[in-house]
Amino acid sequence: MEPKSAVPLKKTGAGNAVRPQVAADSAAYVDSGKPAVISAERFSFFYGSKCGVNNVSMDIRTGSVTAIIGPSGCGKSTFLRSINRMNDLIPNTRTEGTLAVNGCDVYDKRTNLINLRQQVGMVFQKPNPFAKTIFENIVYGPRLQGVRSKRRLSEMVEKCLRDSAMWDEVKDDLHKSALALSGGQQQRLCIARTLATKPNVLLMDEPCSALDPIATARIEDLIAQLKGTYTIVIVTHNMQQAARVSDYTAFFCLGELIEYDRTDKLFTNPAKKATEDYITGRFG
Amino acid sequence: MRTQIRQSLDKMFTAFAGSVVLLIAGVLLVVLVPMFRKGLSAVFFTETVEFRKLQMDLHDRGDERTLKQELERVAAARKPIYDILLAFSRGLDMEPRVKEVKNIYQQYGEYLNYRNTPKEQYTECRKQAKEIRDTILDALESMDKQVVLANLDKALAQKGNPTFKDTPVQHFFTVAEQYRKTAQTVDLTKRSEYLAGLRDVTAAIRQLFGPLPGEDEPPLPMDQYGATRMDMARKALHTLLWDEQWIADGPGKPLVKKIIARKTQFTGTELEPLFDRVEKNFNALLLPRHRFYWQYFIDDWVNSHYFGGIGPEILGTLLLTVLSMLFAVPFGVVSAAYLVEYASDNIWIKIIRICINTLAGVPSIVYGLFGLAFFVITISAIGKPCILAASLTLSILVLPVIIRASEEAIRAVPQTYREASLALGAGKFRTLVKVILPAAGPGILTGIILSLSRAAGETAPILFTGVVAMGPIPNFGTPAEWVRNPASIFGGLFQPTRALSYGSYDIAVGDRISMLVPHQQFGMVMTLILLILVLNVTAIVIRSRLSKKLRGH
Amino acid sequence: MAKYSAQIAGKSKKAAAGFTRPLLLTPSEDMLGFLSGHLGRAALFLITATSVVAVFLIFYFVIRESAPFFFNKSFPAAMARIKEFFTDSGWYPAATEPRYGGLALIVGSLYVTLGSLILAVPLGLFAAIFLSDIAPFNLRQICKPVIEILAAIPSVAYGFFAVMVFAPWLQKSLGFSTGTNALNASVILAIMALPTIISVSEDAMSAIGRETREASYALGATRAETMVKVVIPAAHSGILAAVILGMMRAMGETMVVWMASGNAGRIPSPWWDLSQSIRTMTATIAGDMGETPKNSEHYYALFTVGLTLLLFTFSLNLVSEYLLGKVMKTSRGGK
Repeated sequence: MEPKSAVPLKKTGAGNAVRPQVAADSAAYVDSGKPAVISAERFSFFYGSKCGVNNVSMDIRTGSVTAIIGPSGCGKSTFLRSINRMNDLIPNTRTEGTLAVNGCDVYDKRTNLINLRQQVGMVFQKPNPFAKTIFENIVYGPRLQGVRSKRRLSEMVEKCLRDSAMWDEVKDDLHKSALALSGGQQQRLCIARTLATKPNVLLMDEPCSALDPIATARIEDLIAQLKGTYTIVIVTHNMQQAARVSDYTAFFCLGELIEYDRTDKLFTNPAKKATEDYITGRFG
Repeated sequence: MRTQIRQSLDKMFTAFAGSVVLLIAGVLLVVLVPMFRKGLSAVFFTETVEFRKLQMDLHDRGDERTLKQELERVAAARKPIYDILLAFSRGLDMEPRVKEVKNIYQQYGEYLNYRNTPKEQYTECRKQAKEIRDTILDALESMDKQVVLANLDKALAQKGNPTFKDTPVQHFFTVAEQYRKTAQTVDLTKRSEYLAGLRDVTAAIRQLFGPLPGEDEPPLPMDQYGATRMDMARKALHTLLWDEQWIADGPGKPLVKKIIARKTQFTGTELEPLFDRVEKNFNALLLPRHRFYWQYFIDDWVNSHYFGGIGPEILGTLLLTVLSMLFAVPFGVVSAAYLVEYASDNIWIKIIRICINTLAGVPSIVYGLFGLAFFVITISAIGKPCILAASLTLSILVLPVIIRASEEAIRAVPQTYREASLALGAGKFRTLVKVILPAAGPGILTGIILSLSRAAGETAPILFTGVVAMGPIPNFGTPAEWVRNPASIFGGLFQPTRALSYGSYDIAVGDRISMLVPHQQFGMVMTLILLILVLNVTAIVIRSRLSKKLRGH
Repeated sequence: MAKYSAQIAGKSKKAAAGFTRPLLLTPSEDMLGFLSGHLGRAALFLITATSVVAVFLIFYFVIRESAPFFFNKSFPAAMARIKEFFTDSGWYPAATEPRYGGLALIVGSLYVTLGSLILAVPLGLFAAIFLSDIAPFNLRQICKPVIEILAAIPSVAYGFFAVMVFAPWLQKSLGFSTGTNALNASVILAIMALPTIISVSEDAMSAIGRETREASYALGATRAETMVKVVIPAAHSGILAAVILGMMRAMGETMVVWMASGNAGRIPSPWWDLSQSIRTMTATIAGDMGETPKNSEHYYALFTVGLTLLLFTFSLNLVSEYLLGKVMKTSRGGK
């Protein structure tokens, strides 16, 4: 359902648009046969004069899980946070190029930030539940959208908690503080909370970096379950994790997109030396 | 060697710094301990039966029957003391005696008239009676024991005279006999000295047991009752038993205070047993009992703080502080939220910050001047010093405190909260209202409590804007009046009030009667300090819990 | 399980189909958002600007009420008034020929302020050193509330202590003719200024990072040497700000000096004799205003005293602000 007011970008097409500006060997496009939900076009992001993301062009396919890997400070988080404009919180920043979600440039002045962020949900590095009850945490988003009916809210809470596979764990503690949960539960609660706003895209910014291996495994299971329903972009510093959960992987280095390909191909047969060095652990 | 000197210097430095901190803690104790020790005695003390009588008379507190029994017991115990006092004063104080004698003579005249005595007999009888009268008067006026006794014997010789049988003249003889007794025991040359001593003794007895029987009811409540508290009773007992005199210790030397037992002053007189009697039966005379007088915090004063409590002062302080918070909190919290969440770093914000700091630095007395010039004089709707003007002045005073505390609290909310809320599609304003302010709530609350305590303690800003030392309790009307005229609820806002802070000043410096009752003075200031300490400790506890939560998070 | 994932896969076709809510604002939404955003911000800004309004009102009204003291007359008369106020030490507003010399009051204020600082600054510095560098964490957690409570006790309670406890003690043990004198007021003001001095200078010393201290220790300095030779010089502007803030607190204090200073409006002589009674600006306002008719010469004169006080503290405030700004910069640079 294309919104009426949406102004599609000229260059954003479905499928494999031709992008002559990008060098062919960057392998920035992955042929999957599915349309791109997020597409960056020579996108750059600057903190003041410092460049965070440099001239990145890539398409992210609908329904896929895309991992972004790279050494720390390579701009992978910056890129991710640009997609739902969370970088707005940082003063003194600017962008170049376009970054389109569903064909609309998110850095357009007329972007409806609220709708954008509701539909492009985000899960952060550290679990960040509000200091409220579990129930209140989840209904926060739906309430913002104007859902008032107690019954509908309860249904949503149950559905989201089931979708994030934690209903059985917390169904008796819905009205206890979310801060009493363990770290892994908190992170899954944050995912459930994000699901409650009915997003199309889930951005995950190193969601497991603060968790223990068991909690990590559960999050990864969850990602596998959510795959297909949501387009998931996950930033991770853990290459095994990227290999386990993602369909596609992008490798960022020093703000630039080095390589972007199917996960199995990128990890077994990288096209670039830099990628190979990174995944074999020779640097970073 | 040099290293050793340096090390010992370092140790001295450390020890000195530590002892400075100890000194400061000691100062805190030195300030607080006397206040609490003496102040608590306004609430916890040993009451006497007089206190129970006072409470029954003024507030209908206590059991009427037991009180009546107690009063009877006490009256029985006091009677011998009053008798001694009366007898002694009869023997000593000549003026009433002279009056009495003259009175008897007059009565005799009337008696004779009443009997229709024949003229000659009348003249004869009067003449004889006059002779007796004059002898007795001579005896009363004389200081010489021999003359006195001779005169009295001369008068008493007439006792058997049948003319005077069953006439008022018999009273002459009772007086004469009484006085002979006094004259035999008392050194008459010391009469004036005794008289002065007797005045002190009577005053002390009055202080202990209230007005003497037969005296008129004094106008001031403080004179209507005896010692209501045992500590005051002991003080009165001390003045009863001991006489303080300033005696020159030789020519040119400064006066020295000497304490002399009154008993020795009155040795051999009729009064002597009184002292032992009072001292030994002290408890039976006053029936002391321990008391927790919690009504101190709700009662109004009686006789400008001589009795009673500080209820209206507490009420006034609460009214002033709560009202000032009502004005200051919305402005303070909104300002803080704006400064943290919205303001960019431009010249206007810099000006605002400088102004907030300036506000924090303006001396409190200047706030008082400003409140007088602006709220009281310029705003005609207020027009006079009143609660509204005072609390508005206070609200400006605490505004910077609230802004700073709230700013800190809002800044302390983790950035992740903002991110989470924004990522869920909330707008900036909603994030502020629904996430940031609730999360900053305990911190803001701490700031509000601290500024509450600041407002409660301030005196100078309300000095000219709405506080009085004595005055009626602000009248906020009754429910019946509210129905008739809803605006009458606010009537109290336009009246001045009493307050703990100014009351503490006034009771310490301005008020003469309260000098007599230190427990009232210390009680008032203790209540103020207690109020502020409770508020501060609450704030400290909330903050430490908060920091634990943040650290644990 | 297999069935479940098949379901999800089936759902995905539908769910991933499109965005249900428009990503771009309609022009009217855009306009509304623009307006509400800006109006909201403007409203918040106006509320925040209350403090500015308050400062302006305070200055305006204090100046307005004090202006007739000078400017109701010819220019030379006004100059004579100003000269009298700042050079004459006779404050006799109730005399038949009233005199409004404020010198004794200004000197009185400065006198007790300096007296209190002489006591409070060394003590406060040592306490700050103890709290920032010597005390272990737990002890600091105990000391901080003590200092906060010291700061929280209202001035009238300190004044009460000064009159009812301290003054009789001074009179008895030191043999002064009166217990309410400059020494009493200075000591109590020092107690009141201590918390400010301690907390601000402790912040300043903590802002000098660990690195600086470690550098000094590594060169073999003892703690005392490190503090005296490195940390205190580095934190000097913060410490100065602490002293100035303490000074403001002492100078602006009313109740303590009113109750404890004896209220004798003369310049102490000899100057070092602290046992004399003095009178400060704040106490004069507090004591006189109650029985002064509005819009009388005396009333204007009291507002002039208030204006003098306000200007004193305002300029001190600006200086402390400048100094604290410097501290902020160094602490930020250090990090």
